[in-house]
Amino acid sequence: MTDGAIAEPLDLVRLSLDERIYVKMRGDRELKGRLHAYDQHMNLVLSDVDETITVVDVNEETFEERIRTVKRSHEMMFVRGDGVILVSPPGRT
Amino acid sequence: MLFYSFFKTLVGQPVVVELKNDLSIAGVLVSVDQFLNIKLDDIRVTDEKRFPHMMSVKNCFIRGSVVRYVQLPSAAVDTALLQDATRRENSAEK
Amino acid sequence: MDSFLPGAASLVDCVDKKLLVILRDGRKLIGWLRSYDQFANLVLQDTMERMYHGETYGEEYRGMFVVRGENVVLLGEVNEEKEAHHLRSLREVPSAEINAILKKEAEARKKMDLVTGKILHARGFCVDFAETDHY
Repeated sequence: MTDGAIAEPLDLVRLSLDERIYVKMRGDRELKGRLHAYDQHMNLVLSDVDETITVVDVNEETFEERIRTVKRSHEMMFVRGDGVILVSPPGRT
Repeated sequence: MLFYSFFKTLVGQPVVVELKNDLSIAGVLVSVDQFLNIKLDDIRVTDEKRFPHMMSVKNCFIRGSVVRYVQLPSAAVDTALLQDATRRENSAEK
Repeated sequence: MDSFLPGAASLVDCVDKKLLVILRDGRKLIGWLRSYDQFANLVLQDTMERMYHGETYGEEYRGMFVVRGENVVLLGEVNEEKEAHHLRSLREVPSAEINAILKKEAEARKKMDLVTGKILHARGFCVDFAETDHY
């Protein structure tokens, strides 16, 4: 198979190697980072990662809700595949 | 086996393991097995107030399945080599 | 490959040591590791369960355990000197007392998680695992 062909879902991930991808995680987290490694479990290694955590604050008396995001960054990280919901290749726009 | 081999190259490096329950443990990577269970030495917990039970523990074994992230020192990772290994692994499996 | 024992190989030097074991439901067990296997199933002897809350702690003797590996979050070797030092800085209270407080807090948290979970779900987040992963 040539390097450019897409025959199965993970081939799309292979084409995203060394590109910035978007990763949606289980729970309240999203990542953007450069992809350096992956396997069939969707374990990943990303660099220059921007992590976004969406936090809901609920006032215990009034039940008013306020949604805010917390940002973190990581120079290099391993992401365990069982927490990954989707991987999105870099936008073509 | 890609990530098992990858982690083996990082033995001796300072890492931060973040668990799915938000506990973050910083320490030196001592060993890893094929389930990606991780052993750390010289550990330090970022939020000791929330996890006081960790104060008397100096080294630990973390079950791979409870890990969310492992933060790594970027200088210890050869990204070009890693990408080559990833390409090899993911075409060899077919 | 240096030590190719099938999985959990590195637990060998924890045998016959005093360990803190954290379970997925948040419980903390302190006992002597007598045996283990590749799934990190554990045999713990003379196990105590310890609960912490603020400046207090409680203990309950539990005895012998076989812990199924999938419920293990982490285990660590207990430095008894450090442990004694830390416990001296806390006040021991009856375990029933501390358990009641922890239970109440867990219920309140669960209620709150349900509310925030619904809001996050409506925004497209996947929060269905909260029940099992809040160790």
